[in-house]
Amino acid sequence: MSEKLLNSKSRAPKSTTPSKVNIPTNLEALGALIKISIDGNDLKVPMGTTILAAAKTLGITIPTLCHHEDLCVAGVCRICVVEIEGMRNLQAACAFPITSPLTIFTHTRKVRQARRHTLDLLLSNHYGECYSCVRNNNCELQALAKEYGVDFYRFGHIEKPKRGQDNSSYAITRDMDKCILCRRCIRTCVDLQEVGVYDALSRGDDTYIGTFMDSAMSDLICINCGQCINRCPTGALRANDPSDTIWDAIDNPKKHVIIQTAPAPRSAIGECFGLEPGTPMTFEMNTAMRYCGFDKVFDTNFSADLTIIEEGTELVLRLYKALVLKEDVALPQYTSCSPGWVKYLEHFYPEMIPNLSSAKSPQQMFGSVIKTYYAEQNNIDPADIVTVALMPCTAKKFECNRPEMYDSGFKDVDFGLTTREMAQMFKEAGIDLPAMKKSDFDDPFGTMTGSGIIFGATGGVMESAIRTVYELVTGKRIDDLFEHANIIPVRGFDGEHFEGVKYAELTFDEVGPVPAILAHLVPNWDWLKGVTLKVGVAHGTANAKKVIEDIKAGGKMSECHFIEFMGCPGGCLGGGGMPIPTDEKIRAARARAIYAEDESSEVRKSYENPAVLKLYTEFFTDGPCGHKSHKLLHTNYVNRGKKVV
Amino acid sequence: MQVVEREILKKELTELINKYGSERSALMPILQFFQEKYRYLSGIIMQETAHALGIHPVEVEGVASFYSFFKTEGKQGKYIIRLCQTISCDLDGKSKVARQLENELGIKFGETTKDGMFTLEYTNCLGMCDQGPAMMINDRLFSKVTLDKVSKVLADCKKDFVKSDFPTVVPSDVKKSGPILEHGVKPFESLKTALDMKRSDIILALREAGLKGRGGAGFPTSIKWQLAAAAKADEKYVVCNADEGEPGTFKDRYLLYNHTDIMIDGMTIAAYVLGAKQGYIYLRGEYRYMKEYLKEAIAKRKESNLLGDNILGKEGFTFNLEMRMGAGAYVCGEETALIESMEGERGEPRNRPPFPVDTGFNQKPTAVNNVETFIDAALICAKGAKWFSNIGSDKSKGSKIFSISGSCKNPGIYELPYGITINELLKEIGGEDAKAVQVGGAGGQCVPRNEFDRVIGYEDASSGGSIIVFGPDVDMLKVAKNFMEFFVEESCGQCTPCRDGNPKLLEGIEMLEEGRCSYSYLEELLKLGETMQISSKCGLGQSSPNAFVSIVKNFQSEILGRVPEKV
Repeated sequence: MSEKLLNSKSRAPKSTTPSKVNIPTNLEALGALIKISIDGNDLKVPMGTTILAAAKTLGITIPTLCHHEDLCVAGVCRICVVEIEGMRNLQAACAFPITSPLTIFTHTRKVRQARRHTLDLLLSNHYGECYSCVRNNNCELQALAKEYGVDFYRFGHIEKPKRGQDNSSYAITRDMDKCILCRRCIRTCVDLQEVGVYDALSRGDDTYIGTFMDSAMSDLICINCGQCINRCPTGALRANDPSDTIWDAIDNPKKHVIIQTAPAPRSAIGECFGLEPGTPMTFEMNTAMRYCGFDKVFDTNFSADLTIIEEGTELVLRLYKALVLKEDVALPQYTSCSPGWVKYLEHFYPEMIPNLSSAKSPQQMFGSVIKTYYAEQNNIDPADIVTVALMPCTAKKFECNRPEMYDSGFKDVDFGLTTREMAQMFKEAGIDLPAMKKSDFDDPFGTMTGSGIIFGATGGVMESAIRTVYELVTGKRIDDLFEHANIIPVRGFDGEHFEGVKYAELTFDEVGPVPAILAHLVPNWDWLKGVTLKVGVAHGTANAKKVIEDIKAGGKMSECHFIEFMGCPGGCLGGGGMPIPTDEKIRAARARAIYAEDESSEVRKSYENPAVLKLYTEFFTDGPCGHKSHKLLHTNYVNRGKKVV
Repeated sequence: MQVVEREILKKELTELINKYGSERSALMPILQFFQEKYRYLSGIIMQETAHALGIHPVEVEGVASFYSFFKTEGKQGKYIIRLCQTISCDLDGKSKVARQLENELGIKFGETTKDGMFTLEYTNCLGMCDQGPAMMINDRLFSKVTLDKVSKVLADCKKDFVKSDFPTVVPSDVKKSGPILEHGVKPFESLKTALDMKRSDIILALREAGLKGRGGAGFPTSIKWQLAAAAKADEKYVVCNADEGEPGTFKDRYLLYNHTDIMIDGMTIAAYVLGAKQGYIYLRGEYRYMKEYLKEAIAKRKESNLLGDNILGKEGFTFNLEMRMGAGAYVCGEETALIESMEGERGEPRNRPPFPVDTGFNQKPTAVNNVETFIDAALICAKGAKWFSNIGSDKSKGSKIFSISGSCKNPGIYELPYGITINELLKEIGGEDAKAVQVGGAGGQCVPRNEFDRVIGYEDASSGGSIIVFGPDVDMLKVAKNFMEFFVEESCGQCTPCRDGNPKLLEGIEMLEEGRCSYSYLEELLKLGETMQISSKCGLGQSSPNAFVSIVKNFQSEILGRVPEKV
C-alpha cells in the first residue's frame, strides 16, 4: 500500500472509532487475561474485550441498538448499559473495553430502569404505526419494546410527523420520523462505503440525521447501495418497493411478465421464511414465482455468462491493443456489473471512466436480450413484455432507470425487485417457500451454470473470467491449475494485500489456437505467451477507494490488468436488497450456499453455456464485442462528479 | 457569478490550507474565517471546504450546524447582537432588554434586519453574570445593559463605534482576593523553579498539595499528569480548557486576562512533566475578544524564550503554544468533546475509557486542564505544596476562585478557601436572605435554605466556581425552566437519555407551570432524572437533571398546584 494510504486516518468521528486498547500478543505470558464476573459467573477474557462480547460468551444477552457487528463502536443509544461494582454510573457494554478486573451486573434495578426509560424516550419520538411499517416483525426497536414489556407510552407519544418522507430516489426511501438516531447509517455510509450521504446535523433536541443541505436522495451523491437499509434497526430507511406495480402487470392479461433471478437472492431468501442463512431456495423459488403469476422464470446466470464473454473479450482486446498495437488504452479494466460501484466511480473518480468495462451488467444484458431476441423468437411484441429483475440490490432499481438503458427500443428492465420484496410478494400470495415443490428455470436460458452463480459472491466475476479466459487462451483446462476449477485466491472476504482487497496472478505458460468465437478479433495468442495476468478484487466501496488511490499513487494495484469491484461488502450476497439482518457470519453462510451450487453445476465455465453459444450463432452473429453486441450489450457512463451544489 | 464566487473561494481555501494545514483539524478555523467574511456558510462554501480537506460535504455541514456561531442558512447582519439568556442575566431583567431590542430594530430574535445591519440572537452564558444583563455585539461586550442604553448602543453601532462612550474592555469586579490572586510570585519564577525540579518531584508536589481539577470534576491533577507522562507516545499535548461555559462562571475570563503569564507557566510546566512539545488554549467563542490579546501574550513569551526551543536555556525542552477557538457549544467544556472540536469534529464527547491521558488529541496522550488548575499548579511549584494544602478542607485543598452572581449585594469574583459553608459565603457576599443557592452552575445542585450549613467542596456541594444566589422573590420553577432550556439546547444530541430526556423534563416544567402535572408523573420524571444521571454518556448529560431534581424535591409546595398565568 502506498505511504499516503498507510498514514491516512479514518474519517469516522473519533468518538465512534473503536476504543483503542493495545492488546499484547503474548497474552498468557503477560497474564493479560483478565478475570471478570458477570452476574455471578466468573470468566477470563483477553484485555480489551468489550463487556458486550464477554457477556455473549456466557450466553447473556445485552440489548443493543446502535451497536452493529460490521461497524465501529458508537455508544450512543445507551440501551446496553450495565452496572459495574464500584462505579457510580452505568456503562455502555458495547463501548467499554475490559482492562482491569470487574464485577458486572446486567439486570439490576438501575439497569432495568435505565433501559426501559431509554426505550420509552425513543418510542416517545418514534412516529408511525408498526402495522403499516415495512419492518413490522423485523424491527429491533419493536422487538425490544416487546422484550421489555412496553405496554404504554410513559413519556407520551409524538402525534404528528416531524420530518416527512423522502421518496425521491429509485432505490432508497427515508422516513426520518422513524429514526432513532443510532447513527448506524452514518457509520455505514462513511466507514464502509466512503460515500458520505448522511451525518448528524444540528445539536441538542434538534439533532437529526440529515443529508447535505437537506437535499433529496435523488439529488445527492448516493450510490444507491442500500447498505444503510440493511443496518437500519427500524423502518427509517427502506427500499423503494415496486411490487404493487408488478402485481398490476401480472394481473394484466395482455402483459407477458418475465422475471430473471440473480444468483444471490436464492442463497438468502429462505432467511425471510425462518430458515438458516445459507439455505439455497433456487428451485422452490422458481415454483413460487410461477405461482405468483410470472409467465417466465429465467436465470440471470445466463446473462452473467454472457457478461463474461463480452467483458472477457473486451479485456483481451484492451490487452492486445496495449501489448501488440502499443496503443494507449485504459488499464486495468474495471468490472461494471455492480451499479453501486459504477455510480461511485462516476461521482468520485470520473477520470477513470475509460477503465470501466463498457459491458452492461447481467441484469441489463438480459433485459435487452429479452426485449429483442426473445421477443423475436417467440413473436411477442416487446411493448407487451414486462421484465422484472429479482436482485439482491437496491442500486439495480436505479440502474434499470438510467436513460442509457433503453437499447432494445424499450425500457430494457422494467423493475428491479429486491430479495426482501420478493419474499413479501410470496407471503402475500400465501406461499410458504420452503414447502414449495422444486422446478427448473424456463428455457431458452435455462441452464444454471456455476460460472454464473458465483457472481453472487465477491471474487465470483473474477473467478468466472479466469476460468473462461485461461481456457480460451491456452486451450488447457483450468482444473489442472486449480483443483475443481476453484480459484481460491480470489475468494473470501479478506485480502492479503490490504484488508478487503484480494490480488492474484496467473501466467499463460502456453497458448493454444484462437477459438472460433474470437477469431475475428485476434490473429493468434502468441503475444500472450509468458504474460502474467494480474488481477484484483475489491468489495465495498471503501475498499474500492483504497484500490483506486493505490493505483493513482502507482502502487501494486496499478500493475493489475483486470479488477473486480463490487459495491457491497461481501459482493452481491451482502447487497442492500438482501434480508435483514446482515453480518459477516450471515454473509459467509450465503457464500457457502453459492459456492456449493457452483460445485454441483454441470456447466461451470461461461463459454460452455449452450444458451450463450446459441445466442452468438443465432443473434449476435458478428460475435462478442461486435457491432450488434455493442448496441445491445454495452453502454456508456456519465461523468457525475462530486458537486451537489 | 457562481463561477467567479467558486474561483475566489478556491483561492481563499488554498491560502487557508497553507495556514492551517489540510488535516481535518483545520476545519474549525476555516469555517470561522468564512463565517466572519461571508456571514454565513453557504452550501458552496461547505462543499468546497469539504473537497479541499478530503472529507464529505455533509460532514462539514454536521460540524457547521453543531456550533451556534456558525450559520448554514440566512446571511447574518453586519452586527450580530447576542443577548445572554442564562439565569443570572435572566434574573437581572434580560427579558425587558430583549423586548426593547426587538422594538428598536423591528425584528424578532433569530432574525436579521432588512438592511443587513443587525441580527438579533440569544446566546448562552457570556460570562458576565455579575454584571447582567449582558450582550455581545460582534467582538464587543456590553454589561449592565439598561433599557435606556439599548438605543445608544445601536446608534453607536451605526457609526462603527467611532467616538463611542462604551468601554472596549469590560472590567472584572474582584471583590475579594486571597493567596492565589495575590500570589506575589515574580514573573516566570514558577517556571524557572519547576524547570530545575525533577519531573517526578513536580508530580509529587501536586499530589502533596492535593490539587484537584478546578473545572468542577475534581480529578487529581497529579494523577492526570502522571498518567499522561507515563504514556508512551511520540507526541503528547497539553491543552488549556478555556471553554468557560458553565452558567454563572466568569472567573476564567478574569484569570485569562489578568494572570495570563502564570497560566502559561502552568501549561509549560505540564509540557515539561509530560514531555509534550505542543500545547493549545481552547478559548470559547464567546470570549473571542480575548483572542488577539492571548496571541500577543504567546508571541511575547516566544520572544523572551519562554516558549519555543530550549526554553529558559533548558537544553532540548521545546514547547509551542497555539490558540484554538470554540464556536459556541457548552458541551465543548467536556474534555473529550473539546478534543473532538479541536480535531474539527462535532463537539461530541467520546466513549471513556480510553481517557485523554492515553488517547487524546490526534489519538495521543493529552492533558486537558482548566485555566485555574494551571495557575494553581504553577504557584505550587513556586511556593511549595504546603502553601496550598494548608488552606481548605480535608478533601478539598486550596483556595478557590468563585464567580458569584444573582440576588446578593456584592456579586463578583471572590477568592475563598474550599470547605467554607454556604452560610459563611452568603455572609461574605451579602446574600443572607437567599432562599436557595445554585452551587456548580446549571449542572450543579440547588441548595435550599435549610441546608445552608453545607460545605462547598468536592466532598459535598461541588463547584467549579459558579455560585448563583436566589433571593426570596425568585420563582424556582422559572429557574428550573431556564436551566432545562439551556440543556435542551446545549446537549450534543448524541445519546438518548440526554437528548430525549431533557426535553421531557422541560415538558414537565411546562406542565407544572400550567398546573396540570400529576404527582405520579412528577415522580416518574424524577426517576427519569436518575436514569439520565447514571446512563448518559458524558458529564453534561449526567449532571443535566441535577437542578430539576433538587428544585422539584426541595420546593414542592412552591411548584405544585399552580394556577396558570393569564397571558
